[in-house]
Amino acid sequence: MRLRRAGMYILLSAIGLVFVGPFLILLSAGLKPAGQAVFSFPPDIIPRPPVLTWVIEAWTAIPFPAYLLNSVIYVGVTVPLYMLVSALCAYPLARMNFRGKNLIFFAILSTMFLPGEVMLIPRFLVVSQLGMADTYAGVILPGVLSAFGIFLLRQTFAGVPREVVDAARTDGCHELRIFWHVMLPAARPTLAILGIFGFISVWNSFIWPLVVLKDSAKYPVALGIAYLAGITGTDVRSLAAGTIISIIPVVVIFMIMQRHVLEGMRGAVKG
Amino acid sequence: MAAGRIPGQRWYTPYLFAIPALALFGVFFAWPAFTAIQLSFLEYDVVSPPVYVGLENFTKILGDGRFWTALGNSLLFLVGMFPLLVVVPLLLAVLVNQKLPGIRTFRMLYYLPVVTSMVAVGVAWEYVFHQQGVLNWMLTGAGLLDKPIQYLLDPFWALPALVLVEGWKSMGFYMMLYLAGLQTIPTNLYEAAKVDGAGAWHRLRRITVPLMVPYIAVAVTVEMLDAMQAFTSIYVMTKGGPQDATLTLGYYIWSAAFEHYEMGYASAMGLVLWVLMIALAILNYRLTRGRAVMP
Repeated sequence: MRLRRAGMYILLSAIGLVFVGPFLILLSAGLKPAGQAVFSFPPDIIPRPPVLTWVIEAWTAIPFPAYLLNSVIYVGVTVPLYMLVSALCAYPLARMNFRGKNLIFFAILSTMFLPGEVMLIPRFLVVSQLGMADTYAGVILPGVLSAFGIFLLRQTFAGVPREVVDAARTDGCHELRIFWHVMLPAARPTLAILGIFGFISVWNSFIWPLVVLKDSAKYPVALGIAYLAGITGTDVRSLAAGTIISIIPVVVIFMIMQRHVLEGMRGAVKG
Repeated sequence: MAAGRIPGQRWYTPYLFAIPALALFGVFFAWPAFTAIQLSFLEYDVVSPPVYVGLENFTKILGDGRFWTALGNSLLFLVGMFPLLVVVPLLLAVLVNQKLPGIRTFRMLYYLPVVTSMVAVGVAWEYVFHQQGVLNWMLTGAGLLDKPIQYLLDPFWALPALVLVEGWKSMGFYMMLYLAGLQTIPTNLYEAAKVDGAGAWHRLRRITVPLMVPYIAVAVTVEMLDAMQAFTSIYVMTKGGPQDATLTLGYYIWSAAFEHYEMGYASAMGLVLWVLMIALAILNYRLTRGRAVMP
Protein backbone atom coordinates (compact mmCIF):
# COMPACT_ATOMS: atom_id res chain seq x y z
CA MET A 1 0.00 0.00 0.00
CA ARG A 2 2.82 2.39 0.89
CA LEU A 3 4.61 1.37 -2.30
CA ARG A 4 1.48 2.08 -4.30
CA ARG A 5 1.24 5.51 -2.76
CA ALA A 6 4.89 6.28 -3.53
CA GLY A 7 4.31 5.17 -7.12
CA MET A 8 1.30 7.46 -7.32
CA TYR A 9 3.35 10.46 -6.18
CA ILE A 10 6.04 9.65 -8.74
CA LEU A 11 3.41 9.52 -11.48
CA LEU A 12 1.78 12.77 -10.32
CA SER A 13 5.18 14.48 -10.18
CA ALA A 14 6.21 13.25 -13.62
CA ILE A 15 3.00 14.66 -15.09
CA GLY A 16 3.60 17.84 -13.13
CA LEU A 17 6.99 18.17 -14.78
CA VAL A 18 5.33 18.01 -18.21
CA PHE A 19 3.20 21.03 -17.28
CA VAL A 20 5.86 23.03 -15.47
CA GLY A 21 8.90 21.96 -17.51
CA PRO A 22 8.62 24.52 -20.33
CA PHE A 23 8.38 27.32 -17.76
CA LEU A 24 11.43 25.97 -15.93
CA ILE A 25 13.37 25.93 -19.20
CA LEU A 26 12.34 29.55 -19.73
CA LEU A 27 13.35 30.49 -16.19
CA SER A 28 16.68 28.74 -16.60
CA ALA A 29 17.40 30.50 -19.91
CA GLY A 30 16.53 33.87 -18.42
CA LEU A 31 18.93 33.48 -15.51
CA LYS A 32 21.94 31.94 -17.30
CA PRO A 33 25.13 33.98 -17.56
CA ALA A 34 26.36 34.94 -21.04
CA GLY A 35 29.08 32.30 -21.00
CA GLN A 36 26.68 29.39 -20.48
CA ALA A 37 24.92 27.91 -23.52
CA VAL A 38 21.12 28.18 -23.51
CA PHE A 39 20.71 25.06 -25.65
CA SER A 40 22.84 21.96 -25.45
CA PHE A 41 22.73 18.16 -25.53
CA PRO A 42 22.22 17.13 -22.78
CA PRO A 43 20.29 20.15 -21.45
CA ASP A 44 22.20 22.22 -18.94
CA ILE A 45 19.36 23.56 -16.80
CA ILE A 46 21.00 25.00 -13.68
CA PRO A 47 22.36 28.55 -14.25
CA ARG A 48 25.92 28.85 -12.95
CA PRO A 49 25.63 31.34 -11.40
CA PRO A 50 22.11 32.83 -11.83
CA VAL A 51 22.38 36.42 -13.07
CA LEU A 52 19.86 39.25 -13.36
CA THR A 53 21.53 40.72 -16.47
CA TRP A 54 18.76 39.57 -18.79
CA VAL A 55 15.96 40.59 -16.50
CA ILE A 56 17.39 44.09 -16.54
CA GLU A 57 17.94 43.97 -20.29
CA ALA A 58 14.35 42.86 -20.96
CA TRP A 59 13.11 45.52 -18.54
CA THR A 60 14.86 48.25 -20.57
CA ALA A 61 14.66 46.84 -24.13
CA ILE A 62 10.93 47.54 -24.18
CA PRO A 63 9.06 49.95 -21.86
CA PHE A 64 8.31 47.10 -19.49
CA PRO A 65 7.08 49.10 -16.46
CA ALA A 66 4.65 50.98 -18.74
CA TYR A 67 3.30 47.72 -20.19
CA LEU A 68 2.84 46.23 -16.73
CA LEU A 69 1.05 49.40 -15.64
CA ASN A 70 -1.19 49.20 -18.73
CA SER A 71 -2.09 45.61 -17.89
CA VAL A 72 -2.86 46.65 -14.32
CA ILE A 73 -5.12 49.41 -15.65
CA TYR A 74 -6.91 47.05 -18.06
CA VAL A 75 -7.48 44.50 -15.30
CA GLY A 76 -8.24 47.10 -12.63
CA VAL A 77 -10.95 48.77 -14.69
CA THR A 78 -12.38 45.82 -16.63
CA VAL A 79 -12.78 43.34 -13.79
CA PRO A 80 -14.73 45.54 -11.29
CA LEU A 81 -16.88 46.87 -14.13
CA TYR A 82 -17.50 43.32 -15.29
CA MET A 83 -18.54 42.24 -11.79
CA LEU A 84 -20.82 45.26 -11.32
CA VAL A 85 -22.51 45.07 -14.73
CA SER A 86 -23.01 41.32 -14.38
CA ALA A 87 -24.45 41.65 -10.89
CA LEU A 88 -26.79 44.51 -11.87
CA CYS A 89 -28.17 42.50 -14.78
CA ALA A 90 -28.32 39.23 -12.86
CA TYR A 91 -30.36 40.66 -9.97
CA PRO A 92 -33.64 41.37 -11.78
CA LEU A 93 -33.20 38.18 -13.83
CA ALA A 94 -33.00 36.20 -10.60
CA ARG A 95 -35.49 37.98 -8.33
CA MET A 96 -38.03 39.98 -10.32
CA ASN A 97 -40.82 39.28 -12.77
CA PHE A 98 -41.10 41.67 -15.64
CA ARG A 99 -42.01 41.83 -19.28
CA GLY A 100 -39.11 41.01 -21.62
CA LYS A 101 -37.22 39.01 -19.02
CA ASN A 102 -36.87 36.01 -21.31
CA LEU A 103 -35.85 38.26 -24.17
CA ILE A 104 -33.03 39.75 -22.10
CA PHE A 105 -32.02 36.28 -20.97
CA PHE A 106 -31.76 35.03 -24.54
CA ALA A 107 -29.93 38.13 -25.70
CA ILE A 108 -27.27 37.50 -23.05
CA LEU A 109 -27.21 33.80 -23.93
CA SER A 110 -26.73 34.62 -27.62
CA THR A 111 -23.42 36.34 -26.87
CA MET A 112 -21.97 32.91 -26.14
CA PHE A 113 -22.62 31.99 -29.74
CA LEU A 114 -20.92 35.07 -31.17
CA PRO A 115 -17.28 34.01 -30.84
CA GLY A 116 -14.65 36.71 -30.46
CA GLU A 117 -12.84 35.69 -33.63
CA VAL A 118 -15.89 36.19 -35.81
CA MET A 119 -16.78 39.49 -34.11
CA LEU A 120 -13.27 40.85 -34.45
CA ILE A 121 -13.70 42.80 -37.68
CA PRO A 122 -17.16 44.30 -37.18
CA ARG A 123 -16.40 45.12 -33.57
CA PHE A 124 -13.22 46.88 -34.65
CA LEU A 125 -15.22 48.94 -37.16
CA VAL A 126 -17.87 49.80 -34.55
CA VAL A 127 -15.23 50.81 -32.03
CA SER A 128 -13.54 52.93 -34.73
CA GLN A 129 -16.83 54.62 -35.58
CA LEU A 130 -17.28 55.46 -31.91
CA GLY A 131 -13.84 57.07 -31.94
CA MET A 132 -12.50 54.49 -29.50
CA ALA A 133 -9.88 52.88 -31.74
CA ASP A 134 -6.44 53.06 -30.16
CA THR A 135 -7.84 54.10 -26.75
CA TYR A 136 -7.98 52.45 -23.34
CA ALA A 137 -11.78 52.55 -23.51
CA GLY A 138 -11.70 50.69 -26.81
CA VAL A 139 -9.69 47.90 -25.22
CA ILE A 140 -11.77 47.77 -22.04
CA LEU A 141 -15.46 48.21 -22.88
CA PRO A 142 -16.04 45.29 -25.28
CA GLY A 143 -14.70 42.95 -22.59
CA VAL A 144 -17.08 44.02 -19.84
CA LEU A 145 -20.16 42.01 -20.81
CA SER A 146 -19.94 38.26 -20.30
CA ALA A 147 -22.69 35.69 -20.14
CA PHE A 148 -20.60 33.58 -17.75
CA GLY A 149 -20.71 36.23 -15.03
CA ILE A 150 -24.39 36.99 -15.42
CA PHE A 151 -25.45 33.34 -15.32
CA LEU A 152 -23.29 32.50 -12.35
CA LEU A 153 -24.56 35.47 -10.34
CA ARG A 154 -28.16 34.87 -11.37
CA GLN A 155 -27.87 31.40 -9.84
CA THR A 156 -26.33 32.80 -6.66
CA PHE A 157 -28.93 35.57 -6.25
CA ALA A 158 -31.75 33.08 -6.82
CA GLY A 159 -30.43 31.10 -3.86
CA VAL A 160 -30.59 33.96 -1.35
CA PRO A 161 -33.37 33.08 1.15
CA ARG A 162 -36.58 35.01 0.69
CA GLU A 163 -36.85 35.87 4.41
CA VAL A 164 -33.59 37.82 4.31
CA VAL A 165 -34.86 39.98 1.46
CA ASP A 166 -38.31 40.42 3.06
CA ALA A 167 -36.72 41.46 6.34
CA ALA A 168 -34.68 44.09 4.54
CA ARG A 169 -37.81 45.26 2.76
CA THR A 170 -39.83 45.68 5.96
CA ASP A 171 -36.92 47.74 7.24
CA GLY A 172 -37.69 50.08 4.35
CA CYS A 173 -34.85 49.15 2.02
CA HIS A 174 -35.45 49.95 -1.64
CA GLU A 175 -34.18 47.69 -4.42
CA LEU A 176 -30.80 49.34 -4.85
CA ARG A 177 -30.06 49.03 -1.12
CA ILE A 178 -31.14 45.39 -1.13
CA PHE A 179 -28.92 44.80 -4.12
CA TRP A 180 -25.95 46.48 -2.49
CA HIS A 181 -26.35 45.44 1.16
CA VAL A 182 -28.02 42.03 0.89
CA MET A 183 -27.34 40.52 -2.53
CA LEU A 184 -23.75 41.52 -3.18
CA PRO A 185 -22.45 40.40 0.26
CA ALA A 186 -24.28 37.08 -0.18
CA ALA A 187 -22.60 36.64 -3.56
CA ARG A 188 -19.07 37.27 -2.30
CA PRO A 189 -17.77 33.76 -3.17
CA THR A 190 -19.24 34.01 -6.67
CA LEU A 191 -17.72 37.46 -7.11
CA ALA A 192 -14.35 35.98 -6.13
CA ILE A 193 -14.77 33.42 -8.92
CA LEU A 194 -15.58 36.15 -11.43
CA GLY A 195 -12.62 38.14 -10.12
CA ILE A 196 -10.05 35.39 -10.67
CA PHE A 197 -11.38 34.34 -14.06
CA GLY A 198 -11.68 37.97 -15.14
CA PHE A 199 -8.15 38.74 -14.00
CA ILE A 200 -6.70 35.80 -15.92
CA SER A 201 -8.58 36.53 -19.11
CA VAL A 202 -7.89 40.28 -19.17
CA TRP A 203 -4.23 39.96 -18.17
CA ASN A 204 -3.67 37.46 -20.98
CA SER A 205 -5.91 39.03 -23.62
CA PHE A 206 -4.03 39.38 -26.85
CA ILE A 207 -5.98 39.42 -30.07
CA TRP A 208 -8.38 42.27 -29.21
CA PRO A 209 -5.72 44.72 -27.95
CA LEU A 210 -3.61 43.74 -30.98
CA VAL A 211 -6.42 44.79 -33.30
CA VAL A 212 -7.55 47.93 -31.46
CA LEU A 213 -4.21 49.47 -30.49
CA LYS A 214 -1.86 51.22 -32.91
CA ASP A 215 0.15 53.12 -30.32
CA SER A 216 2.55 50.69 -28.64
CA ALA A 217 2.60 52.90 -25.52
CA LYS A 218 -0.85 51.49 -24.64
CA TYR A 219 0.17 47.82 -25.02
CA PRO A 220 -0.66 45.35 -22.27
CA VAL A 221 2.24 43.17 -21.22
CA ALA A 222 1.22 40.16 -23.38
CA LEU A 223 1.48 42.32 -26.51
CA GLY A 224 4.73 43.74 -25.18
CA ILE A 225 6.21 40.24 -25.06
CA ALA A 226 5.11 39.49 -28.62
CA TYR A 227 6.69 42.81 -29.60
CA LEU A 228 9.91 41.90 -27.79
CA ALA A 229 9.92 38.50 -29.52
CA GLY A 230 9.45 40.23 -32.88
CA ILE A 231 12.41 42.59 -32.50
CA THR A 232 15.22 40.98 -34.46
CA GLY A 233 18.31 40.56 -32.39
CA THR A 234 16.47 40.11 -29.10
CA ASP A 235 18.65 37.79 -27.06
CA VAL A 236 17.01 34.44 -26.29
CA ARG A 237 17.92 35.00 -22.63
CA SER A 238 16.32 38.41 -22.32
CA LEU A 239 13.20 37.21 -24.15
CA ALA A 240 12.98 34.36 -21.64
CA ALA A 241 13.50 36.74 -18.73
CA GLY A 242 10.86 39.18 -20.04
CA THR A 243 8.35 36.39 -20.55
CA ILE A 244 8.87 35.14 -17.00
CA ILE A 245 8.27 38.65 -15.61
CA SER A 246 5.04 38.90 -17.62
CA ILE A 247 3.56 35.74 -16.11
CA ILE A 248 4.55 36.26 -12.47
CA PRO A 249 1.59 38.50 -11.50
CA VAL A 250 -1.07 36.19 -12.92
CA VAL A 251 0.56 33.08 -11.43
CA VAL A 252 0.73 34.71 -7.98
CA ILE A 253 -2.93 35.77 -8.13
CA PHE A 254 -3.89 32.29 -9.28
CA MET A 255 -2.05 30.64 -6.40
CA ILE A 256 -3.79 32.89 -3.89
CA MET A 257 -7.23 32.39 -5.42
CA GLN A 258 -6.89 28.80 -6.67
CA ARG A 259 -9.66 27.25 -4.58
CA HIS A 260 -12.19 29.48 -6.38
CA VAL A 261 -11.22 28.02 -9.75
CA LEU A 262 -12.75 24.60 -9.14
CA GLU A 263 -15.88 26.19 -7.66
CA GLY A 264 -16.14 28.33 -10.78
CA MET A 265 -15.98 25.29 -13.03
CA ARG A 266 -18.68 23.59 -10.97
CA GLY A 267 -20.95 26.62 -11.34
CA ALA A 268 -20.22 27.03 -15.04
CA VAL A 269 -21.31 23.51 -15.90
CA LYS A 270 -24.47 23.72 -13.80
CA GLY A 271 -25.38 27.17 -15.13
CA MET B 1 -48.70 43.77 -15.12
CA ALA B 2 -46.23 41.19 -13.86
CA ALA B 3 -47.34 38.86 -11.11
CA GLY B 4 -45.51 38.93 -7.81
CA ARG B 5 -44.38 42.52 -8.12
CA ILE B 6 -43.21 43.95 -4.87
CA PRO B 7 -45.12 46.95 -3.50
CA GLY B 8 -43.03 50.06 -3.87
CA GLN B 9 -41.09 48.66 -6.78
CA ARG B 10 -41.67 50.68 -9.92
CA TRP B 11 -42.40 48.92 -13.20
CA TYR B 12 -39.15 50.18 -14.66
CA THR B 13 -36.89 49.09 -11.78
CA PRO B 14 -35.78 45.79 -13.39
CA TYR B 15 -34.93 47.57 -16.63
CA LEU B 16 -32.81 50.16 -14.82
CA PHE B 17 -30.72 47.34 -13.37
CA ALA B 18 -30.29 45.73 -16.78
CA ILE B 19 -29.47 48.93 -18.69
CA PRO B 20 -25.66 48.77 -18.50
CA ALA B 21 -25.58 45.16 -19.70
CA LEU B 22 -28.14 45.85 -22.43
CA ALA B 23 -26.26 48.91 -23.64
CA LEU B 24 -23.03 46.90 -23.90
CA PHE B 25 -24.95 44.12 -25.62
CA GLY B 26 -26.32 46.54 -28.18
CA VAL B 27 -23.05 48.31 -28.92
CA PHE B 28 -20.54 45.45 -28.79
CA PHE B 29 -22.63 42.43 -29.81
CA ALA B 30 -25.83 43.25 -31.69
CA TRP B 31 -24.48 46.15 -33.74
CA PRO B 32 -21.25 44.33 -34.77
CA ALA B 33 -23.21 41.15 -35.57
CA PHE B 34 -25.44 43.17 -37.85
CA THR B 35 -22.38 44.92 -39.34
CA ALA B 36 -20.71 41.56 -39.99
CA ILE B 37 -23.61 40.41 -42.13
CA GLN B 38 -23.72 43.73 -43.96
CA LEU B 39 -19.94 43.75 -44.55
CA SER B 40 -19.92 40.33 -46.13
CA PHE B 41 -21.82 41.78 -49.10
CA LEU B 42 -19.42 44.70 -49.46
CA GLU B 43 -15.95 45.35 -50.72
CA TYR B 44 -14.31 47.55 -48.12
CA ASP B 45 -10.65 48.41 -47.52
CA VAL B 46 -11.26 50.94 -44.69
CA VAL B 47 -9.85 53.82 -46.80
CA SER B 48 -12.22 54.08 -49.78
CA PRO B 49 -16.01 53.93 -49.33
CA PRO B 50 -17.56 50.45 -49.31
CA VAL B 51 -18.93 49.04 -52.57
CA TYR B 52 -21.84 46.60 -52.73
CA VAL B 53 -20.70 43.42 -54.50
CA GLY B 54 -23.58 41.05 -53.81
CA LEU B 55 -22.48 37.48 -53.27
CA GLU B 56 -19.05 38.01 -54.80
CA ASN B 57 -17.22 37.49 -51.50
CA PHE B 58 -18.91 34.14 -51.03
CA THR B 59 -18.20 32.95 -54.57
CA LYS B 60 -14.60 34.07 -54.09
CA ILE B 61 -14.38 31.75 -51.07
CA LEU B 62 -15.32 28.77 -53.25
CA GLY B 63 -12.39 29.40 -55.58
CA ASP B 64 -9.87 30.42 -52.93
CA GLY B 65 -7.40 27.58 -52.41
CA ARG B 66 -5.97 29.19 -49.28
CA PHE B 67 -9.41 29.24 -47.67
CA TRP B 68 -9.75 25.48 -48.17
CA THR B 69 -6.21 24.94 -46.88
CA ALA B 70 -7.12 26.98 -43.81
CA LEU B 71 -10.36 25.09 -43.30
CA GLY B 72 -8.50 21.79 -43.60
CA ASN B 73 -5.91 22.93 -41.08
CA SER B 74 -8.61 24.09 -38.66
CA LEU B 75 -10.26 20.69 -38.89
CA LEU B 76 -6.87 19.07 -38.25
CA PHE B 77 -6.61 21.23 -35.13
CA LEU B 78 -10.05 20.06 -34.08
CA VAL B 79 -9.25 16.39 -34.61
CA GLY B 80 -5.73 16.62 -33.20
CA MET B 81 -6.81 18.38 -30.03
CA PHE B 82 -9.63 15.94 -29.38
CA PRO B 83 -7.55 13.27 -27.59
CA LEU B 84 -5.55 15.98 -25.80
CA LEU B 85 -8.57 17.87 -24.50
CA VAL B 86 -11.40 15.37 -24.26
CA VAL B 87 -9.74 12.06 -23.40
CA VAL B 88 -6.48 12.75 -21.53
CA PRO B 89 -7.98 15.35 -19.14
CA LEU B 90 -10.59 12.80 -18.01
CA LEU B 91 -7.79 10.45 -16.98
CA LEU B 92 -5.97 13.34 -15.31
CA ALA B 93 -9.15 14.28 -13.45
CA VAL B 94 -9.55 10.71 -12.16
CA LEU B 95 -5.92 10.86 -11.04
CA VAL B 96 -6.25 14.15 -9.13
CA ASN B 97 -9.64 13.19 -7.68
CA GLN B 98 -7.88 10.83 -5.25
CA LYS B 99 -7.78 11.72 -1.61
CA LEU B 100 -4.05 12.16 -1.12
CA PRO B 101 -2.15 14.73 0.93
CA GLY B 102 -0.91 17.50 -1.36
CA ILE B 103 -3.23 16.62 -4.24
CA ARG B 104 -4.32 20.27 -4.50
CA THR B 105 -0.74 21.23 -5.34
CA PHE B 106 -0.70 18.83 -8.27
CA ARG B 107 -4.04 20.15 -9.53
CA MET B 108 -2.60 23.63 -9.37
CA LEU B 109 0.55 22.63 -11.28
CA TYR B 110 -1.47 21.03 -14.06
CA TYR B 111 -3.60 24.15 -14.28
CA LEU B 112 -0.62 26.51 -14.50
CA PRO B 113 -0.47 26.70 -18.33
CA VAL B 114 -4.16 27.67 -18.38
CA VAL B 115 -3.56 30.87 -16.42
CA THR B 116 -0.52 31.97 -18.41
CA SER B 117 -0.91 33.90 -21.63
CA MET B 118 -0.69 32.10 -24.97
CA VAL B 119 2.15 34.46 -25.87
CA ALA B 120 4.23 33.31 -22.91
CA VAL B 121 3.36 29.69 -23.62
CA GLY B 122 4.33 30.12 -27.27
CA VAL B 123 7.69 31.60 -26.31
CA ALA B 124 8.32 28.83 -23.76
CA TRP B 125 7.62 26.11 -26.33
CA GLU B 126 9.91 27.72 -28.88
CA TYR B 127 12.68 26.88 -26.39
CA VAL B 128 11.39 23.32 -26.07
CA PHE B 129 11.17 22.91 -29.86
CA HIS B 130 14.60 24.45 -30.52
CA GLN B 131 16.94 22.42 -32.69
CA GLN B 132 19.20 21.96 -29.66
CA GLY B 133 16.24 21.97 -27.29
CA VAL B 134 15.02 19.47 -24.78
CA LEU B 135 12.50 17.73 -27.07
CA ASN B 136 15.09 16.96 -29.74
CA TRP B 137 17.46 15.81 -27.03
CA MET B 138 14.90 13.38 -25.63
CA LEU B 139 13.76 12.03 -29.00
CA THR B 140 17.24 11.57 -30.44
CA GLY B 141 18.42 10.13 -27.13
CA ALA B 142 15.59 7.59 -27.17
CA GLY B 143 16.52 6.67 -30.73
CA LEU B 144 13.20 7.91 -32.15
CA LEU B 145 14.93 10.53 -34.30
CA ASP B 146 18.16 10.28 -36.28
CA LYS B 147 18.83 13.98 -36.22
CA PRO B 148 17.16 17.01 -34.56
CA ILE B 149 14.14 18.54 -36.28
CA GLN B 150 13.22 22.21 -36.50
CA TYR B 151 9.59 21.50 -35.72
CA LEU B 152 8.18 24.96 -36.37
CA LEU B 153 9.97 25.31 -39.73
CA ASP B 154 9.01 21.88 -41.00
CA PRO B 155 5.85 21.78 -43.17
CA PHE B 156 4.94 18.38 -41.77
CA TRP B 157 5.70 18.93 -38.08
CA ALA B 158 4.63 22.56 -37.61
CA LEU B 159 0.90 21.82 -37.31
CA PRO B 160 1.24 18.86 -34.91
CA ALA B 161 3.65 20.99 -32.86
CA LEU B 162 1.07 23.78 -32.54
CA VAL B 163 -1.69 21.29 -31.73
CA LEU B 164 0.52 19.95 -28.96
CA VAL B 165 1.10 23.44 -27.56
CA GLU B 166 -2.57 24.43 -27.70
CA GLY B 167 -3.58 21.10 -26.17
CA TRP B 168 -0.96 21.31 -23.44
CA LYS B 169 -2.05 24.84 -22.54
CA SER B 170 -5.74 23.97 -22.12
CA MET B 171 -5.53 20.46 -20.66
CA GLY B 172 -5.77 21.72 -17.09
CA PHE B 173 -8.99 23.57 -17.86
CA TYR B 174 -10.67 20.42 -19.14
CA MET B 175 -9.28 18.46 -16.21
CA MET B 176 -10.93 20.90 -13.79
CA LEU B 177 -14.17 20.69 -15.75
CA TYR B 178 -14.14 16.91 -15.40
CA LEU B 179 -13.06 17.12 -11.78
CA ALA B 180 -16.11 19.24 -11.02
CA GLY B 181 -18.17 16.44 -12.56
CA LEU B 182 -16.36 13.61 -10.81
CA GLN B 183 -17.03 15.18 -7.44
CA THR B 184 -20.76 14.81 -8.04
CA ILE B 185 -20.46 11.01 -8.39
CA PRO B 186 -21.30 9.34 -5.05
CA THR B 187 -18.27 7.40 -3.79
CA ASN B 188 -20.43 4.48 -2.62
CA LEU B 189 -20.97 3.57 -6.29
CA TYR B 190 -17.27 2.83 -6.58
CA GLU B 191 -17.20 1.00 -3.27
CA ALA B 192 -20.07 -1.24 -4.37
CA ALA B 193 -18.29 -1.95 -7.66
CA LYS B 194 -15.09 -2.77 -5.78
CA VAL B 195 -16.98 -5.23 -3.58
CA ASP B 196 -18.29 -6.82 -6.77
CA GLY B 197 -14.68 -7.20 -7.90
CA ALA B 198 -14.62 -4.56 -10.63
CA GLY B 199 -11.07 -3.42 -11.50
CA ALA B 200 -9.97 0.17 -12.03
CA TRP B 201 -10.46 0.03 -15.81
CA HIS B 202 -13.87 -1.54 -15.43
CA ARG B 203 -14.96 1.12 -12.92
CA LEU B 204 -13.77 3.85 -15.29
CA ARG B 205 -15.69 2.39 -18.23
CA ARG B 206 -18.85 1.33 -16.42
CA ILE B 207 -19.29 4.07 -13.82
CA THR B 208 -17.16 7.11 -14.50
CA VAL B 209 -17.61 7.51 -18.25
CA PRO B 210 -21.41 6.96 -18.37
CA LEU B 211 -21.99 9.36 -15.47
CA MET B 212 -19.66 11.90 -17.00
CA VAL B 213 -21.47 12.08 -20.34
CA PRO B 214 -22.92 15.57 -19.72
CA TYR B 215 -19.44 16.84 -18.84
CA ILE B 216 -17.89 15.10 -21.83
CA ALA B 217 -20.52 16.76 -24.01
CA VAL B 218 -19.54 20.17 -22.64
CA ALA B 219 -15.85 19.36 -23.15
CA VAL B 220 -16.40 18.28 -26.75
CA THR B 221 -18.37 21.43 -27.58
CA VAL B 222 -15.85 23.75 -25.96
CA GLU B 223 -12.97 21.86 -27.61
CA MET B 224 -14.48 22.20 -31.07
CA LEU B 225 -15.21 25.89 -30.68
CA ASP B 226 -11.73 26.54 -29.25
CA ALA B 227 -9.99 24.57 -31.97
CA MET B 228 -11.86 26.38 -34.73
CA GLN B 229 -10.66 29.71 -33.34
CA ALA B 230 -6.97 28.92 -32.77
CA PHE B 231 -5.05 32.11 -33.41
CA THR B 232 -2.55 33.38 -30.85
CA SER B 233 -0.24 30.35 -30.89
CA ILE B 234 -0.05 30.64 -34.67
CA TYR B 235 0.54 34.39 -34.53
CA VAL B 236 3.36 33.97 -32.01
CA MET B 237 5.02 30.81 -33.31
CA THR B 238 4.55 30.36 -37.07
CA LYS B 239 2.50 33.19 -38.63
CA GLY B 240 0.64 30.53 -40.62
CA GLY B 241 3.81 29.11 -42.18
CA PRO B 242 5.78 27.27 -43.37
CA GLN B 243 4.02 27.25 -46.76
CA ASP B 244 0.59 27.75 -45.13
CA ALA B 245 1.06 24.52 -43.17
CA THR B 246 -0.36 26.18 -40.04
CA LEU B 247 -2.73 28.62 -41.74
CA THR B 248 -6.00 28.21 -39.83
CA LEU B 249 -9.32 29.92 -40.50
CA GLY B 250 -8.84 32.21 -37.52
CA TYR B 251 -5.42 33.30 -38.70
CA TYR B 252 -6.48 33.66 -42.35
CA ILE B 253 -9.46 35.83 -41.41
CA TRP B 254 -7.31 38.03 -39.20
CA SER B 255 -4.67 38.33 -41.89
CA ALA B 256 -7.18 39.16 -44.64
CA ALA B 257 -8.73 41.86 -42.48
CA PHE B 258 -5.79 43.46 -40.73
CA GLU B 259 -2.87 42.78 -43.05
CA HIS B 260 -4.62 43.07 -46.42
CA TYR B 261 -7.61 45.21 -45.37
CA GLU B 262 -10.12 43.03 -47.22
CA MET B 263 -12.80 43.67 -44.59
CA GLY B 264 -15.67 42.40 -46.72
CA TYR B 265 -13.98 39.19 -47.74
CA ALA B 266 -12.73 38.55 -44.22
CA SER B 267 -16.25 39.08 -42.84
CA ALA B 268 -17.70 36.64 -45.34
CA MET B 269 -15.15 34.05 -44.21
CA GLY B 270 -16.01 34.94 -40.61
CA LEU B 271 -19.67 34.20 -41.29
CA VAL B 272 -18.77 30.85 -42.82
CA LEU B 273 -16.69 30.06 -39.72
CA TRP B 274 -19.58 31.11 -37.52
CA VAL B 275 -22.07 28.88 -39.36
CA LEU B 276 -19.59 25.99 -39.14
CA MET B 277 -19.23 26.47 -35.40
CA ILE B 278 -22.97 26.59 -34.84
CA ALA B 279 -23.37 23.47 -36.98
CA LEU B 280 -20.70 21.65 -34.96
CA ALA B 281 -22.34 22.68 -31.69
CA ILE B 282 -25.75 21.46 -32.86
CA LEU B 283 -24.30 18.22 -34.21
CA ASN B 284 -22.56 17.57 -30.92
CA TYR B 285 -25.71 18.37 -28.96
CA ARG B 286 -27.66 15.85 -31.05
CA LEU B 287 -25.01 13.15 -30.77
CA THR B 288 -24.47 13.42 -27.04
CA ARG B 289 -28.15 13.64 -26.26
CA GLY B 290 -28.62 10.38 -28.09
CA ARG B 291 -25.68 9.00 -26.14
CA ALA B 292 -26.89 10.24 -22.79
CA VAL B 293 -30.04 8.10 -22.80
CA MET B 294 -28.23 4.92 -23.86
CA PRO B 295 -26.62 3.62 -20.65
